[in-house]
Amino acid sequence: MKKIGIIGIGNLLRKDDGIGIILLQQVQKKKFPATVECLDGGIGGMNLLHVLPRYESVIIIDAVDFHGTPGEWRYVSLQDIRRKKEIIPASTHETDFLNVLRLSEELQELPAHVFIFAVQPKDMTVGTTLSEELTSKLDTLELNLQKKIQERIKAKKL
Amino acid sequence: MSKDFSIHVEHVTRVEGHGNITLNVKNGSIEKLEWSVVEAPRFFEAMLRGQQFNELRPITSRICGICSIGHSLASLKATEDALGVKLSEQTELFRRLAIHAENMQSHILHIGYLVAPDLLGVGSVFPLIGSKHTDTVLKIVKLHRLANEMSDLICGRTIHPIRLVVGGFSMFPTEKQLVHLQKRLEEARSLTQELATVIHSVADKLPAFERETEYIALSTPKEYAFYDGDLTSTDTGTLKDYKKYQEITNEYLVPQSTAKYAKHHRDSYMVGALARFNLNSKQLHPAAQDVAKLFGLKAINYNPFMNTIAQLVEFMHNIEDSLQLIDTVLNQGIKDEKPVKPKVQAGRGVGLVEVPRGLLIHDYTLNSKGYCTKANCIIPTNQNHANIQKDMEKLVPEIINRPEKEIELTLEMLVRAYDPCISCSTHYLDVTFV
Repeated sequence: MKKIGIIGIGNLLRKDDGIGIILLQQVQKKKFPATVECLDGGIGGMNLLHVLPRYESVIIIDAVDFHGTPGEWRYVSLQDIRRKKEIIPASTHETDFLNVLRLSEELQELPAHVFIFAVQPKDMTVGTTLSEELTSKLDTLELNLQKKIQERIKAKKL
Repeated sequence: MSKDFSIHVEHVTRVEGHGNITLNVKNGSIEKLEWSVVEAPRFFEAMLRGQQFNELRPITSRICGICSIGHSLASLKATEDALGVKLSEQTELFRRLAIHAENMQSHILHIGYLVAPDLLGVGSVFPLIGSKHTDTVLKIVKLHRLANEMSDLICGRTIHPIRLVVGGFSMFPTEKQLVHLQKRLEEARSLTQELATVIHSVADKLPAFERETEYIALSTPKEYAFYDGDLTSTDTGTLKDYKKYQEITNEYLVPQSTAKYAKHHRDSYMVGALARFNLNSKQLHPAAQDVAKLFGLKAINYNPFMNTIAQLVEFMHNIEDSLQLIDTVLNQGIKDEKPVKPKVQAGRGVGLVEVPRGLLIHDYTLNSKGYCTKANCIIPTNQNHANIQKDMEKLVPEIINRPEKEIELTLEMLVRAYDPCISCSTHYLDVTFV
């Protein structure tokens, strides 16, 4: 059965960079239908390429610098995103997920619907706690993420 | 020929993390040549202090998205060494399978997605899709997928494994799953041979450069060492007491970088696939030896660009050795073993493993309640920085009369050959929403 994948990516050892994983841990405390799978993608990278074919829809939760205020969130589809610079594919070893999505598309394995729940980080230095800004907005972020997940579940039923 | 030029490569692409190359040439002579690492220094050791022994593995597995199995195993070995845990034969077999899976995962990523574009004359793997090389990319993806699924099967999860615990495994795969894996590994053997043929056809793009240096890796008469072995140098032989590893890995600071550097018997040394090959090539499986022969790779090889080829050789060895290990496991039958419960005690333990980029060491001191009071992690890439710098110092005068673009690309290729993992701990994105 094709599923909806909720994938958190980030590094719990880099403060706000771990927001994707922390939000995933929060939302997966609630029960979802069997068609939904929550996945801790860790630092992600090329490994994500191999989990994407499992799903028809994915929501990727990640720390993204979109020059917003810390803790601000955006929910966008893949089509909505345009890279600021010219894309340098596979620019780092831990290739960022936009390049992974591109390769997945080239391989004709990309899920039909890809959404990104992006949170503006503040502090990405080494440490295991979120910045004050993100900590104070954690409940709101979780609530909004839940809404988006439920919308996706409903959309699948239509 | 005397000329003036300068090259500054900020954030060398297709490597993990941020490293810069600076080269200034005046009147044909080098004024400045520097490999610098600009990542924020790591403080993982500080995070480990105050944690209980069974928390150390989950924390360290998040240091790196690629070497999370390697960090897990180094961490477990250090913890178990401190607590005097004796492991079952089954655990030792499965841990070897885990390390093969990770090595395959990382090597194919490096060979296929990061180095192949250099050899095929493109900027990245993406333009290769839809070109005459599509088939090669599909082979690479297939092999990478197999390695990931093997990690999943053995460790419970590809990224940041969960089944690897102090004293053993929290769960083992079933015999049926292993039989299936065996079949896929057999298929991978021929795919790897085909990939080796493709890479061989463009291997003349690898610069013919040599610099004698010291190579350090684990080594043991029993096997081609990954999981276990004695700390060994091509210059000075074996270090008897592994707990005195600092006699080899002398770390020091340099002004241009935030990462630590290391040296032993010479100004620099190299760790990684080429170092392992140079020390242990005789223990490779015959199919892996055949890959080495195809490229004319013989120990001791002093060309750092051949590190990628040594990775390909190791990839074949990982497949062959995994097939053999699975055979052993299936013949013995999988026992429903629970992890060995450690007796909590004070002590110091050191865990050494060979991870894709080379020697990795975790060193923990635990108090009588099993809490960590001191930790030290020696990361492979830090051991290679000085060697990269020394290679550049010999390489640049040899190619100084070539076009600037070619010099720049050759220097970048040199850095990439080491497969450095400068900062495995962030994946920060910078995008604009429209």
